[in-house]
Amino acid sequence: MAEKSTPLARPSWLQALLSLVVPGLGQAVSGAFSRGFYILLSVVTLSGLAVFAAAQRPRYPDYSLSFHAYLAFVAESAALLVFLLAIYWLVRRYAMRTEFARNAATPAFVVLVIIVLGITAPAMIDTVLSAAELKKLYALTSLLTAFVTVAIWAWNIFDAAHLRSSERAPGMGTFYMLLIAGILVLGTRIVQINPEKAIREYKDTGVILSRIVWPWKVAFDYSESELVATADIQAPCPPGATPPPVAQPKEGQPWVSVTPTCGALSKRDSTGKPIFGTLLSIKGGGFKPNKKVHIQWANPLGDAFTPRGFGPTDIPVGPDGTFTTQLYIPDVTIPSVAKGPQIHQLRIVQRGAAQFTGKLSKEMKLALQAMLESIMMGLMATAAGIVLSVPLSFLAARNLMSTLHTTTQGFVGGVIGLVGGAYLGKLAGDWLTPMVGGLEKAPILTFSIYLVLVLGLAILAYRLLGRALTSAAEHLPAPVSLGIGIAGMALVGAVVGYLLGLGYAHGILGITRGTEGAVAAAPHTALLGAALGAFLGAFWAWRLGTSTTIPIGQMIYATVRLILNIGRSIEPLIWAIMGVIWVGPGPFAGFIALTIHSVAALGKLYSEAIESIDPGPIEALQATGANRLQTIVYAVVPQVMPPFTAFTLYRWDINVRMSTIIGLVGGGGIGFLLIQWIHQFQYEQAGLAVWLITITVATLDFVSASIREKMV
Amino acid sequence: MLVVEHLTKVYEDGTVALKDVSFTVEDGEFLVIIGLSGSGKSTLLRCINRLIEPTEGHIFWNGVDITQTSEAEMRRIRREIGMIFQHFNLVERSSVLTNVLTGRLGYLPSWWSLINYFPQAEKRRAMAALERVGIGDKAHNRADALSGGQKQRVGIARALMQEPKMILADEPVASLDPVLAHSILGYLETLNQEQNITVLCSLHYLDLVQRYATKVIGLRDGQLVYEGTREQIRNITDAEFKHIYGQEAQRLSVGG
Repeated sequence: MAEKSTPLARPSWLQALLSLVVPGLGQAVSGAFSRGFYILLSVVTLSGLAVFAAAQRPRYPDYSLSFHAYLAFVAESAALLVFLLAIYWLVRRYAMRTEFARNAATPAFVVLVIIVLGITAPAMIDTVLSAAELKKLYALTSLLTAFVTVAIWAWNIFDAAHLRSSERAPGMGTFYMLLIAGILVLGTRIVQINPEKAIREYKDTGVILSRIVWPWKVAFDYSESELVATADIQAPCPPGATPPPVAQPKEGQPWVSVTPTCGALSKRDSTGKPIFGTLLSIKGGGFKPNKKVHIQWANPLGDAFTPRGFGPTDIPVGPDGTFTTQLYIPDVTIPSVAKGPQIHQLRIVQRGAAQFTGKLSKEMKLALQAMLESIMMGLMATAAGIVLSVPLSFLAARNLMSTLHTTTQGFVGGVIGLVGGAYLGKLAGDWLTPMVGGLEKAPILTFSIYLVLVLGLAILAYRLLGRALTSAAEHLPAPVSLGIGIAGMALVGAVVGYLLGLGYAHGILGITRGTEGAVAAAPHTALLGAALGAFLGAFWAWRLGTSTTIPIGQMIYATVRLILNIGRSIEPLIWAIMGVIWVGPGPFAGFIALTIHSVAALGKLYSEAIESIDPGPIEALQATGANRLQTIVYAVVPQVMPPFTAFTLYRWDINVRMSTIIGLVGGGGIGFLLIQWIHQFQYEQAGLAVWLITITVATLDFVSASIREKMV
Repeated sequence: MLVVEHLTKVYEDGTVALKDVSFTVEDGEFLVIIGLSGSGKSTLLRCINRLIEPTEGHIFWNGVDITQTSEAEMRRIRREIGMIFQHFNLVERSSVLTNVLTGRLGYLPSWWSLINYFPQAEKRRAMAALERVGIGDKAHNRADALSGGQKQRVGIARALMQEPKMILADEPVASLDPVLAHSILGYLETLNQEQNITVLCSLHYLDLVQRYATKVIGLRDGQLVYEGTREQIRNITDAEFKHIYGQEAQRLSVGG
């Protein structure tokens, strides 16, 4: 034998080469296909993520790295790795002759790697920082990503070289560790996690945060006692005008007297510097001593402002309650239509201390109202959710539905009865509801009448027709009843096929041919669908014959479960957006959203509770001759009461939580108020809303937990 | 009279639970079905009131083939056939009285159940049934507050509400101690003898079988392997015993 197989001693250079070119190829060649596939997939994913992160540059100019820089990193770190490996190889080759060297080799190598990394990494970051003006974080993550990619590549070559088809493959621990590290590093970059920014910008947040955290000052009204004295001044002052009289001191009241009472307004030149008008001498008295008074100027329309820059505006009052000061008549923008002299007013205002009145502020009242709205929204949605989801949950319980079977004839009768009955109910409603005033005058009554008629007649017709056809099939000769079944199924199939055909034309052809093309094609596809449906229905009925049965229960179960799953997988906030489109912004939209989601969620939870009951009592009641309804009332309902209560409380809890934020998308309640206040930078008011939400949710948590503890 | 002809039940997973079983039960008989667990006793009893649909064969109850009836007709027939269970099958969270009243549901309009209405006459009938099994004082307790023996008496009271002509008892004493076992079977025997109610009962312990049965059938792997009268079961031979229960079986006795 010329060649001796030495699997452990000799690495396979061919496999290593293959894996160097395409990661995982060497492994695949050696027979480990899935291993090779996973390696290739990982490398591709990691590179893809890196390229994606690099391509985010246009979206986040601050936080990205060009692809070239990334490639440069890969090349540089690969060179570094080769250098390190070369050193390792040299050490192993020449220095490991002695026992000591052999033992010390690995630790020494690790230390070497750390030293080299310590020296080179900052240098590389520095290079990049100065050259490409990138953020530090991005230089770091890019460097790490590049390292991990190269390390995985290198590991893959090493792994390929040592893989033998005859042996059990060694573990992939190193590979997984590297992969996870790479993904975490890239994740940091894509999610833009930036601790430095968080720390640096925290300082600026403090002020706003403190207003949100402790907003109670705006929750109340404060009365401000004010002492006010006024004096009329005419401006401008044309010759011959009769100026307002000079006010005289009054005993026991604040007063102000101004001379002259007629003068010219200040103006501003082109640079905005004031050209002063008439200087007024102001004297006043009757104010609280040793406090300041504040000067305001009111234009002819009565809008007051503080005339800064035309003299002192905050003047101390002497011990006798008087003061004197001087002020240029300020520049006042006067509407061009108001020509000629105008009467302005000088106001002297002395504010007392703000006094706590104990009354709630307007904002607090608004917030409380909105909070109540939210809580009621959650409550109503839960109530509506219970009413709608309980019947659905029985239809979605496998243990109750799987026993329901029907004959072909019964199925046909049922479907025709259901649709026909519903249509009859609608007709009856159209005839009946104008008598009570219609939708405008009596909306709830009208809605209830329609609901009762449509549902009632549909169910009635479903039962009657289903039974009639079933018993007809039993009593008529077999070929006739088979004929009924085939004809009926053909009819049902044709209707379904017709609808599917229409849907195909508008939904699928509409994409490629445009709306007009779809409309043109619709009649043909609908007829084709009807024909196909009729044929399939008839064929199915023929195959089933007269004896076998259709698992109608399973079909209803699957349909209801599908609807519930769709309803649940769309978030309440998305439903709220649809609700806002439907009925406009406000709590009603939020109610609709929460109700839909509650029905879906409760329906699933309830039906699972029904599925997990003890089947014994059901069996016992069936044995007594009780029918389906009686069995459900006396054997199922008592058993599901505790879980139903628990799930309802849980849902109520969720609904009130959701109702507080559903307003963010226009669903009404406190969330609506909160987002408005945040947009207006009214952080104290927003703080009030946050506090109310927190208090409500915490209270609710406590209440529902204690109720659940007692009841279940 | 109950006539079972060539009854076969094959479950959907392919298990053959009953294979061509035929026998006749005269009115007023106390028929005991014996056999190992899994020999098809429960399936046989449930085929008779069609809680389980038979695959093949016929069951005639007073001349009516109940394998061919419609669902509504079957519910009317079930009213005449009471059933009691090994695990009692009571609604644990409901009161004893409600549990007994549910035995009457087959006679009452179904919409009454929506408003949980039972006429006074039915409530009196339920109290009387409870008095008869000796637990009238427990009527307003919740069913889960009762002991095993009391629960089975509620099960009998529920069956009595149906005014049954026949009672199917699926191992009614397997969850009870020997003393209670005799007490429960005693009630069934009284009903059997005083009101001429036919009883079909599956039992495990041979001495209970010998004490109460007027007729015995034995099942093994879904086939009828033994048919005997009261006298024959009292003098059962070891060979017959091992034919029913298998070669390794030992005869056990239960006290009382």
